[in-house]
Amino acid sequence: MNSLTLQRAQIVSRIAASLLGGYAFAWGFTTLGIVLGLGLGMPYGEAQTLLFLLAFLVFLVSFCWAFAAKSSARVWAVLAGGGAAMTGVAWLLSRVLAS
Amino acid sequence: MFNSFRLSMTWLHTWFGLVLGFVLMVVFFFGSLSVFDREIDRWALPETRFEPQTMPSFDARLRPIFEQIVPEEEELAAARERVGGPLLETLPLMNWNAYTTHRDPVLSLTAEFAVKNNPDDPYDHVHGHVTIDPRTGRILPHDDLNLGSDFFYPMHYSLHLHWLDLGYWLVGLAALTMLAALVSGVVMHRKIFRELFTFRPAKSTQRSLLDLHNLTGVVALPFSFMFPLTGLIIFAGIYLPVSETMLEPAAMAYQQAEAEKNGLPFQPAGTAAPLSSVDAMVAEAKRRWAARDMPGEVGFLAIQHVGDVNSYVSIYRAGSDRVALVGQGVHFAAPTGRVLYEEPPPPVVFGINEFLTGLHLQHFEHWLLRWLYVAGGFAGCVCIATGLIFFVGKRRVRHATQGIAGARWVDALSVTAITGMLVATLAMLVANRLLPAQLDHRGTWQEGVFWSAWLLALLHAAGRSGPVQQGRIAPAWREQCWAIVVLALAAVLSNWLTTGDHLLKTIRAGYWPVAGFDLTLASSAALAGLTALHLRRREHRHAPSAALDDEVASDAGAPEVAHG
Repeated sequence: MNSLTLQRAQIVSRIAASLLGGYAFAWGFTTLGIVLGLGLGMPYGEAQTLLFLLAFLVFLVSFCWAFAAKSSARVWAVLAGGGAAMTGVAWLLSRVLAS
Repeated sequence: MFNSFRLSMTWLHTWFGLVLGFVLMVVFFFGSLSVFDREIDRWALPETRFEPQTMPSFDARLRPIFEQIVPEEEELAAARERVGGPLLETLPLMNWNAYTTHRDPVLSLTAEFAVKNNPDDPYDHVHGHVTIDPRTGRILPHDDLNLGSDFFYPMHYSLHLHWLDLGYWLVGLAALTMLAALVSGVVMHRKIFRELFTFRPAKSTQRSLLDLHNLTGVVALPFSFMFPLTGLIIFAGIYLPVSETMLEPAAMAYQQAEAEKNGLPFQPAGTAAPLSSVDAMVAEAKRRWAARDMPGEVGFLAIQHVGDVNSYVSIYRAGSDRVALVGQGVHFAAPTGRVLYEEPPPPVVFGINEFLTGLHLQHFEHWLLRWLYVAGGFAGCVCIATGLIFFVGKRRVRHATQGIAGARWVDALSVTAITGMLVATLAMLVANRLLPAQLDHRGTWQEGVFWSAWLLALLHAAGRSGPVQQGRIAPAWREQCWAIVVLALAAVLSNWLTTGDHLLKTIRAGYWPVAGFDLTLASSAALAGLTALHLRRREHRHAPSAALDDEVASDAGAPEVAHG
């Protein structure tokens, strides 16, 4: 692989991370935030509205950081990994709260 | 991948700005038009050119009309598809509602009917809809297209691309891109404050373009940031459907608990009951608003489970005097007229949300602010357009010498997205006035003219952008500017000829919905004409030999900005 195709692959990876990773991170942030709000006694409607107000700012920061960060691997780990982890915790907590 | 933070932001700004700039252009332009969507409706539907009306008497005027509403044929056909067979003989009526603002002369009434035999969706329903003249109760022709509120406005948030909600997602991605472009734009240009006062129209084209790009970007920065963000928040439920998927049990539990707490029946009981006077309920709701020191008019009126003993009437206040939209709902038991529930002031989070969405949707009554919104929207359009044109200008000569066609095709797409969009919009306005009044599906014809004109503009732009490959300006820009001049004047003229409402008459009568739009069209024609003349001079100056020198000079003049 020459350096040009390497750089192309890099760019494709960053774009994918910024959009898919950023979305996963925003989703995890939103669901975890809502569930934590419920745990603190917030009504669902208010928790959801609060997180919707914040979610796109979080998405925006993740999106920009995906291009600014030095390491592509770290971008994927934080955005996709972090998003999946937060979603998982939110799912577990929502089951606990429902029971 | 990038050597510095600034370079990474520059890359992001250039390439995302390019790819989604075309979508952003459409979103900003039709968003700006949507600020005056109701006024454009008046221009397009001459028989609705009268003063805005408040909600008329329900008992005397609206009820008999509501009782005549039947489901739309098209919706019934779609429902038959969903059910996979014939529907029940009569569809049970679910609810009625009426909605108006301080800018609506006509009133639109909607009824929902249950589709009981859809095994996949127990809540499946279809709509019936009429628009009336509230002064007389006359039902207006059904086929008319509200050009502003039913075509330009949905274009703004959905691009009329409904397949898989693709339009919503593209607009959402464009909104995210706009936010990122503003953040990265601020990072790229460190002398932000100075750029607020810098515009050098006499310098080289590239230098003036970049000045204008920075100036409009910085002046309208709070505006251009707030709009994409609040737009995303308004459709957050579409972009992040957490309550329909992962958190559905919690969301449903909340809804039921709210309904129980407020005493508003979720389901009909199945026992018939009469409807008592809704006018009395309206009077009571107004009395309660006045008691809360916020007297007002009815903005939204809805009756759930019509005809059932569980039926209730919800009356919401129009938000003409505040940023937040309709609110302060008072709910009544329909058979008795007893108050079931008066909504308290919203909790802080809802208050912030209502304020932000209200800022975007602007139902308030403040005409200066409304014009400032249009100015902000057009500043955004100029910022996006100059960004696209700068991209091409930067590469035109280099691509020409290297024999690459990239700059040419980006230029052709820019022509289509900028002047082509105006051509399509104006062609639609002319069609609105000139298509025969009795034509069947007149609205569909107008939409057809819009899309065909835009397609023609694309073909024209593609055909007339060849000189870009010799490092020159595409004649497509100038020619489409002339098309804008002709069509904008034709629109004003055809309005005069078909309705008799010429500018002197509408201005003297102070009928600003039509006078204002005609004046806007005439100014657009003037501006497009000046632009075309200016472009002709530029094209002469950009004769092949001169082009290279000018571009080199402009690059030297803008060394502090490293675009792509």
